[in-house]
Amino acid sequence: MKKFWALFFIFWPVVALYVCWIAPSRGWWFPSKPMSSLGHQIDGLFYLILFIVALTFIATQAVMGYALWRGATKKSTEKAMFSHGSHKLEIIWTIVPSFILVFISLTQLEVLANIRVISKFPDEARRAPIAEVMARQFEWRIRYPKPGTTLATEAQSGDLYYVNELHVPVSQPVMVNLRTQDVQHAFFSPKLRVKQDAVPGLIIPIWFEVEKAGEYELVCAELCGWGHYKMKARIVAGSEASVQKYMTDLEAAQNEDGVADAPAETEE
Amino acid sequence: MATVSPAIGTHGHADDHSHGHHEQSFLSKYVFSTDHKVIGIQFLVTTMLMLMVGGALALAVRWQLAFPWGSMPIVGRLFGLFQNEGGQISPEFYTMLFTMHASVMIFLVIIPILAGAFGNFLIPLQIGADDMAFPILNMLSYWFMWPAMFCFAFSFVAGGATAGPGNGWTSYPLLSDLAQASPSSGNAQTWWLFGLTLVGVSSMMGSVNYMTTIINMRAPGMTLFRMPLTIWSMFITAILQSFALPVLTAAGFMLMFDRLSSLLPTDIHSVFFIPAGIVVNNAAPTVGGGQPLLWQHLFWFYSHPAVYIMLLPAMGMVSDMLACMCRKPVFGYKPMVYSMAAIAGLGFIVWGHHMFTSGMNPALGMTFMTSTMMIALPSAIKVFNWIGTIWDGNIKFNAVFLNCAAFVSLFVVGGLSGIFMAAVPVDIYFHDTYFIVAHFHYVLFGATLFGVFAAIQFWYPKMFGREMNDGVQKLHFALTFIGMNGTFFPMHLLGIAGMPRRYADPYLHGYLEHLLPMNQFMTISAIIMGFAQFLLLGNFAYSFFFGKKVGRNPWGANGLEWSAPSPPGHGNFDEPPVCYRGPYEYSSPEAEAMGQDFILQTSPPPAGFKKSSGHVH
Amino acid sequence: MGGFLLASVVLRRAEVLGMSLTPSLNKLSWVGLLAVFAATGCSNNDSSFVYSERTTSLMPEAQDGIPGEADDAPGVLGVKQLLDDRFGNPQNLKAWLKLPVDFGGTQASVSEIVTENDQFKVKLAVEEGVALPEAPKALEFITGECVGETIAVSGWDAETGEAVLASAPTKQPAAGDLCALDGGGVMRSGRVLYMRHCSHCHGTAGDGHGPTAEYLNPRPRDYRHGVFKFTSTNDMSKVSRDDLARVLRYGIPGTYMPSFLLLTDAELHAIVEYVRFLSLRGEYERKLVNELAGDYSAKAAQSRVADGENRTEIVAELREFLAADLPDTATELGDELAEQWSVANTPEALIIPSVARVPDSPESRRRGRELYLSKTLNCADCHGVDGAGNGPQTIAFEKNPITNEMYNEPGLHDVWDNLNQPRNLQTGIYRGGRRPIDLFGRIHAGIKGSRMPSFKNTPHEEIWHIVNYVLSIPFESEPGATGVAAPVSAPVAAAVAP
Repeated sequence: MKKFWALFFIFWPVVALYVCWIAPSRGWWFPSKPMSSLGHQIDGLFYLILFIVALTFIATQAVMGYALWRGATKKSTEKAMFSHGSHKLEIIWTIVPSFILVFISLTQLEVLANIRVISKFPDEARRAPIAEVMARQFEWRIRYPKPGTTLATEAQSGDLYYVNELHVPVSQPVMVNLRTQDVQHAFFSPKLRVKQDAVPGLIIPIWFEVEKAGEYELVCAELCGWGHYKMKARIVAGSEASVQKYMTDLEAAQNEDGVADAPAETEE
Repeated sequence: MATVSPAIGTHGHADDHSHGHHEQSFLSKYVFSTDHKVIGIQFLVTTMLMLMVGGALALAVRWQLAFPWGSMPIVGRLFGLFQNEGGQISPEFYTMLFTMHASVMIFLVIIPILAGAFGNFLIPLQIGADDMAFPILNMLSYWFMWPAMFCFAFSFVAGGATAGPGNGWTSYPLLSDLAQASPSSGNAQTWWLFGLTLVGVSSMMGSVNYMTTIINMRAPGMTLFRMPLTIWSMFITAILQSFALPVLTAAGFMLMFDRLSSLLPTDIHSVFFIPAGIVVNNAAPTVGGGQPLLWQHLFWFYSHPAVYIMLLPAMGMVSDMLACMCRKPVFGYKPMVYSMAAIAGLGFIVWGHHMFTSGMNPALGMTFMTSTMMIALPSAIKVFNWIGTIWDGNIKFNAVFLNCAAFVSLFVVGGLSGIFMAAVPVDIYFHDTYFIVAHFHYVLFGATLFGVFAAIQFWYPKMFGREMNDGVQKLHFALTFIGMNGTFFPMHLLGIAGMPRRYADPYLHGYLEHLLPMNQFMTISAIIMGFAQFLLLGNFAYSFFFGKKVGRNPWGANGLEWSAPSPPGHGNFDEPPVCYRGPYEYSSPEAEAMGQDFILQTSPPPAGFKKSSGHVH
Repeated sequence: MGGFLLASVVLRRAEVLGMSLTPSLNKLSWVGLLAVFAATGCSNNDSSFVYSERTTSLMPEAQDGIPGEADDAPGVLGVKQLLDDRFGNPQNLKAWLKLPVDFGGTQASVSEIVTENDQFKVKLAVEEGVALPEAPKALEFITGECVGETIAVSGWDAETGEAVLASAPTKQPAAGDLCALDGGGVMRSGRVLYMRHCSHCHGTAGDGHGPTAEYLNPRPRDYRHGVFKFTSTNDMSKVSRDDLARVLRYGIPGTYMPSFLLLTDAELHAIVEYVRFLSLRGEYERKLVNELAGDYSAKAAQSRVADGENRTEIVAELREFLAADLPDTATELGDELAEQWSVANTPEALIIPSVARVPDSPESRRRGRELYLSKTLNCADCHGVDGAGNGPQTIAFEKNPITNEMYNEPGLHDVWDNLNQPRNLQTGIYRGGRRPIDLFGRIHAGIKGSRMPSFKNTPHEEIWHIVNYVLSIPFESEPGATGVAAPVSAPVAAAVAP
C-alpha cells in the first residue's frame, strides 16, 4: 500500500508533463505564433521561464518522489534520521534560486521597457495614433481621424466611426489611444500578445506592429459587466493601400445620403 | 521571552473555574461560549458547510462552461427563476456565480477555517495556555460571522432576482461604484460590502487575540524558538491581518460613501473612485474627480497579504504534521521561521503585481516585479525544507501524511506558475486569463485546502476524543486529488490558449471554440471532486458519534496539546505545563532513552540528559 | 452521471483493496449523493413563449378556449391555442407559410409518386427561379393527407428532383401536395442563435423582458407591437430586413444593444428571420386580443356580471364569437400582416430623398437652425432650444392614449409605455445611425413607436438643412451658438471650414 502511494505521487507529475508535452500538437497552446514584434519578445521570455520552471518542477517532484519511495520501502523497524537540518544545504538552495530569479528579472526589464516606456515607442507610432479605441459596454467603438488630419482628443467633425473592427497597416508600428466610455475594460489581442486595461478618465496609448496581414481577434480582458464575454471584435491588418481604401470607403459610407447610389446597404 | 503564563496562578479568570462548580446555561456553554475550543469547533463546522456552498457555486460556473446556455441543474429552475428560458441562466447571473464563489471561499471558508477554526483551537493548547487572552472578544469574533453570512446571503436577492453581487470578488470601480453600471451594482453590492466589513471585524478581533495570546501567555520554557511552526504561522498571519485589513475596511467605506447617493435620497456622496463626466446606462453624468486605480491599490494592499494569510497557517500546520508522520524533526526549523517572516514582510510590497496591465505607472511596475521575484525565494526554501523533512523519515502513510505530501507537491505547481506572472511582459499576456485561475487554485486548493484536510483529521482526536476513519479519508484524498488536478491543471493550458477569465461563453470567439471538450472534461473532474467532499463531511459527522475513541496522544506527537486530555476540559491541562524542548524532537536520543520515537515537549528530560536551559538547539 | 458511476466504481475498488469503510458511513454518503442528483435532474428543460399581459387578462375561456358540450355548443379554440397553432413553441416552431418569413428549406410540390422495389420515391417540382437543394436530409408534408409528417430522405437526385424516402409515409400523399425539403432550418438556427445572443434581454418570446432587461436603460425592444424605431422605410411601413440586419451589425450606440458585426451573414439572416417571426407572433397575438379585450377581458366580464348579466350567457356569447367571427378575423389579420411585412422590403417603402444632400455649410446650418426653431416644425419644443433634449414637453404630464390615464412621471412616453426622452443632440450619439440618410429618415418618417413625429410633408431640401444643423450641434463653440440667418440675406463671403 505504501508503495502505491509513493508511486501515486510519482505518477501524477509524469501525467502532467505528458499533457503539457502533447498540448501544442492538440491546439491547447498559444492561438498562433506571435504576430507582432513585441509578441516575439514576450514568447521568448515565456519559453525561457518555461524551460527553467520545467526543470525545477521535474527536479523537485523527482526528489520528493524518491523521498517518498525511500520512505515506502524503508523497513518499519528502521528509525528515522534524526537531523535538524543542514546549514550547507540551506545556503545552496537559497543562493541558487536567487541567482535564477535575478537572472529572470534582469532579462525581462528590456522587454518591459519596449512595451511600456513611451520614450521607447517607435517614432512612427508616437507621431500619430491611427485611431481612438473607445471601449464601452459591450462593444468597441473606433474613431479614426478625418483623412488627412491627425487624431484629436475630442471628436472632430469629419472623424470616421466604426464598431468592432479596427483597421491597421501591416508591418509598421501603430499606436492607438485606448479609452473607455463607462467602466474598466481591457484591450486584449491574443495573437498579437497585446493587453492593456482601459481606465475611465484616462487615455492610454498602446503600440504594436503587426507582422502579417490578416484578421486578429480582439476581446475584452477586464470584467465590465454581464456582456464582458460578448465584446467580440477584430483587428484587420492590411497593406497601407488597403487601409487607405478602407478609409475612403468608410468616409463615403458615412456620408451616404440615400440618393447618389441605388438603395443598396453598404457599410456605415 | 519566557514569562510565567498569567493563566497559571493569580489570574482571576482561572480562579473562577478551577474551584467548584461554575453553572453555565446551555447558551453560554455551547452557543455563546468563550472557550476557545468550542469557538474553534464552531468555526470549523460553519466553514465546512460554507465550503459546500462555495463549491456548489463553482460547479454552476463549471456547468455553464461545459454546457453553455444549456439548462442548468437546480439553479435554472430555482423559484422559477429562468422559467421562460428553460433553465438557461442569464449573463449577469453568471457574473454572480463566480463573484460569490470567490467571496464565499475566501471570506467565509479559507480565512476563517485557518485562523478562526485552527488558530483558535490550537494556539492556547500548543503554547500551554488555558484559553485566549480575550475570551469574550474571541466569542464575538465567531458570532460576527453570522451577520456577515446573512449579509452575503441577502445580497443574492437584494438587488433583484438575478442580480446578486456580480462585480468579481475584486469589486473594481467603476463597475461596483456606480449603481447603474450593472444589475449587481445596486443593493446587492451594498450588502456584499456590509458582509465584507463584518467578516473583517471578525478576523480583526481574532488577530488581536492571537498576537496577544502568543506573546504573553506561553508556558514556562516555551521560548519563541520552541514554538511549533503552527504557532509561528498563526502569529505571523495575525500580524499580516492586523496591518493589512484596515486598509481594505477603509477602502470598503470609501466605496460605500461613493455609492451613498444611490442608497439614500440625497446627493451627498463622495467620489473617491469616480472620474468626471462618465455616462453609464444613460444615467446623469458623474460629478467626478476621483481615480478608479485608487481602489485597486487599496484593495490589493490588503488582498495580497490576504493570500498569504490564506497560506501561512496551512504551511505551519503541514510542517507540524509532516514532522509527526515522518517521525523526524522539521528540516531547518529556523530557516522555516525566517522564510515565513520573509513571505509576510515581502507580501506587503508586492501588491502591484495584480495591476501590471491596469494602467498604473510602468516604473512602479518594475519595482513590484522585483519584489515579486524575491518572494518566490522563501517559498522555494520552504518546499526544499519539507522535502528534507520527508527524506529518510519513518513515514506513516496515512491520510494525514498523504494530504500533506499533496500540499507540498501541488504547492510546487502553484509557486512555479507564479514565476510566469512575476515577469511583467509575460503577465501582460496571462493577466485575466485562466492561467491566473490555475495558479491561485493550485495554491489555495492544492496547497491550503489539502493542508486543511490533513489538519482536520490530525486534530480531530484532540477536538472530539475520537478518530476519523482513515480509509474513508484516503478515498476522499484520492478522489479529491484526481478531481482537483483534472479540473485545474488544464487551466494552465487554457490560459496559454488565451481564454479570458469570467467569460460566460468563451466559445463565442473562434479561437476558443476548440477548447470546449477540455472544459467538459474539467467540469466532470470538478463534479467528482465536489461529490468527494461528501465523504469528508460524512466521515466527520459519523466519527463524531461512532468513531473509535482514543486517548491523549493517538499519533505519538510532541506538541503541548497532546499532553492534554482528548478533548481537553475547561482550562485545558491537568496541571500547568512546562516546556523542556523544541516541538520536533522525534526519534531523538532523548526519545530513544524513553523507548519511543517521540517525546512530548512537556516531558521532563529522562535520566542522564541535561535539562535544557531554554536556548535554541 | 459520470461522476456518480466513477465514484461507485472507485468505492468498489476501495472495498476490494481492503480499505475499511464502515457500512453505515457508506450509506450516508450515498444518500447524500442521491439526494443531490434527485434535486438536479428531473425537471422540464423546455423554454416557452410567454403570453402577453393583455392575453392573460382575458377571461380564462377566451384564453384557453371552451370545450364542446353539445352539438349546438361546439368546442372552440381560445387565443392561446390559436397562437400556438400558428406559431408553435420554441421546441416545436410552426411555419405559417403565408407570412413573409424565411423559414428555411425549399418549398416544393409533389408531382409524382413512385413505389418500386420497396422504395418510396417522390418526384418534386419547385417554382420557377427556386433552386433544388444539393443534399436535403428530410422531407416534410405541408398539405394533403400526410400533413405534418417529416420523413428522412435516403436518396436524392438533384437533377430530376426525385427523393427516395427512408420510410413510407403513414398516409398516401397525392400530386399537388405541398412539402418542404429541410424545412425549418433557418428557423431552428435562428432560435438557437437568438437564445444564445438575444433572449436574456429581449426575452424568449421577444417581449423585451428577459432576465437582464429590467436593469437596462433604455429597455430592450419588445417586438410584439411589430414596431421598430430605426428604419429606412417611410412612416406607414414596417421595418425592412435590411434595417434589422443593420441594427444587428452596428448596434445602437448609446444603448446596451451591442454590435454583432462578427456574426456571419448566414447567422445574421437567421436571427433577422427569427426576430421577424417573434414580432409577427406578437402582433398577431395583440390584434387577436384586441378583438376580444373590449367585451371579454376578465375585468369586462366582472363588470358585466356585476351589472347583472349571467356568466354562463357571457361564455355562450363568447363561444359563438370564437366559433363564428374570430376565425375569419384571424385569417384577415394574417393576410394583413403578411402584406405589411412584405411591402416593407420593397423599394416602394424606402425613403429616398428627392434631392441629394445639400452640401454642409454655415448657411445651410443657419437655415437648419431657423427651421429647428420655427413654429411650424417646433423641434425645440421637445429637443430644447440648444438641442439638449430638455424642451418644455419633457416636463409636461401626458396621457396614455390607450388607457386614457395620466402617466406617473412627466415627459414623453413611447408606445411601450417607457419614458422616452427626446434625444440630446449635443452628444453626437445617434442611435439610429449617423449617416445623413439616417438622420433624414428620422425626420422624414419620425421614429416609429416614439413621440418623434413624421415630418414627411416638409420639403426635402429643408430636411437636409436640418440634418446639416443637427450634425453640427456637437461641434458648436457653445450650445446654441449657430445663429439664425440674418433677415438681410447677404451671402457670407469667407468660406469657413465645415
